[in-house]
Amino acid sequence: MIPISYFIVLSFILFFLGIVAFFVKKDLLTQFMAVEIMLNAANLAFIAFAKSANALDGQVIVFFVITVAGAEAAIGLAIILLIFRHRKTIKTEDINLMKG
Amino acid sequence: MNTFSSLTPLLIIVAGALLVLILEVFLKKEKKDYLAYISIVFLLGSVYAGLRFWNQNPSYFNGKLLLDNFALFFIFILAIATILVTLISIKYIFLQNTNHGEYYALLLLALSGMMIMVSSTDFLIIFLGLEVLSVSSYALAGLKREDPLSSEAAAKYFLLGCFASAFIIFGLALLYGVTQSTDITVFVQSFADPNLSLLAVAGIGLIIIGLGFKIAVIPFHMWTPDVYQGSPTPVTAFFSVGPKVVGFAVLIRIFQPYWRAAVNTEAVFAALWIIAVLTMVIGNLIALRQTNVKRILAYSSIAHAGYLLVAILSRDNAGLLFYLMVYLFMNVGAFSAVIALSKKNKEYLELDDYAGIGFKYPWIGATFSIFLISLAGFPPTGGFLAKFYVFSTAVREGLITLVVIAVLASLVSVYYYLRIIIYMYMKEPSRDITIHTENPALFFVLFLCLYGVLQLGIFPGNVLVFIKQAVASIL
Repeated sequence: MIPISYFIVLSFILFFLGIVAFFVKKDLLTQFMAVEIMLNAANLAFIAFAKSANALDGQVIVFFVITVAGAEAAIGLAIILLIFRHRKTIKTEDINLMKG
Repeated sequence: MNTFSSLTPLLIIVAGALLVLILEVFLKKEKKDYLAYISIVFLLGSVYAGLRFWNQNPSYFNGKLLLDNFALFFIFILAIATILVTLISIKYIFLQNTNHGEYYALLLLALSGMMIMVSSTDFLIIFLGLEVLSVSSYALAGLKREDPLSSEAAAKYFLLGCFASAFIIFGLALLYGVTQSTDITVFVQSFADPNLSLLAVAGIGLIIIGLGFKIAVIPFHMWTPDVYQGSPTPVTAFFSVGPKVVGFAVLIRIFQPYWRAAVNTEAVFAALWIIAVLTMVIGNLIALRQTNVKRILAYSSIAHAGYLLVAILSRDNAGLLFYLMVYLFMNVGAFSAVIALSKKNKEYLELDDYAGIGFKYPWIGATFSIFLISLAGFPPTGGFLAKFYVFSTAVREGLITLVVIAVLASLVSVYYYLRIIIYMYMKEPSRDITIHTENPALFFVLFLCLYGVLQLGIFPGNVLVFIKQAVASIL
């Protein structure tokens, strides 16, 4: 059996890749996908911990997180669409009416 | 006491939101203010249902949802905030072309999320409540559909909000791995173990970072000014109070047991100390060079989060609750005054617009000035007493350096608060300002907030009794 530490290390790597992508990428959709990767890193950690402790609740939590991610995607895509309708672009450097 | 009836305050709010959503379909665009009155009825009903549980400590779902006095106190604060925001929205959304029926339903749903957050010690439930709050807030921020600023605010709030949620849920996953539980009390007990796994420390750190985004402390504040500026103004008032109040409620739930149980608190203490100092100093300094009133109030709300963190550090829960109560009235009051200065499809938000307002509209000028000096912390307003309680407890706990920095920072803040007052009373008006004055609900809110600020500043006794009972329930 694969030891649990492998899964945890993988989930940490995914989480940090998500953070890096969030700051490096310059477009709203890709940044949103980076956040989804961070959420899935948490899901992986939950499942790995639950499996290693033979507990079910960790696996149930994953369903909650998936639901949350779905709700966020629904509202997020609507907002990104709204932005696109106003400016015909979703590049972050063009979304700069407010600063200071 | 395990009883289904402990869900009533929450269920009333959710039922109200759904009813408002259904009725929205049947009402003509001009008659949508009925929805506001319906939501106020439901809000008052929920407050009444909550009052009946004071000192009863009911719970349900195996204690996952509990209405101790602490939770009830926060439910009252949040319900009052939502009532005030609903009242100031009635005319505003009509004048600013934001009159979509879902507005009030979203406000109520956001409130239901906040109520879930304050009435649980299970962090998974808190996270789910936070998401109910956040998803409604993203929609509220972007509700001024024709305004590119509003959609920009929604996009920024959405991206950074999701980012923060991901931190919280990953931190929760790590703590779950260490403790096999999602309950805050179990988390905290695990910190009593001297050979604690590093995962738990990382977990609590990630959760605090995530909450830091929500309560807008520096360095996690970058979304705040833009979101506050772009959102519809009543929604901004709601954001400046709601998420901040619940964020601090959750922080109290974590730190109240943590400071006593944990074996090694120095690192967390030092991190919070630095965040508090940065928030107070930088928040106030950046506010100095803002010219948009909404942005000034945004940075002021960041700075206030710093003062509130001082209360967390000095373990002064009663002072923190009192501060939040005062903060609710003075901040909603200030934003109401900003809303008062608007007309059809036009809001006056630049400092230059405020020149001469104090003589042209004496009531708005006078109340706005009182809210501003309360935010700055002058007696006899509530803002002074709140700061006095928090800082004096911090001195008694030996945090002298922190208090000196806090007092100096609030001295800096006096400059930008008074600058608005100087514009209102001592500058010649350079532009022709006309406003829409038939707005009884808004003036009622201005009066209520004025009453709240002065009552809490001069006779705080009754409220302090309530606060003592609320704090006693989580000891």
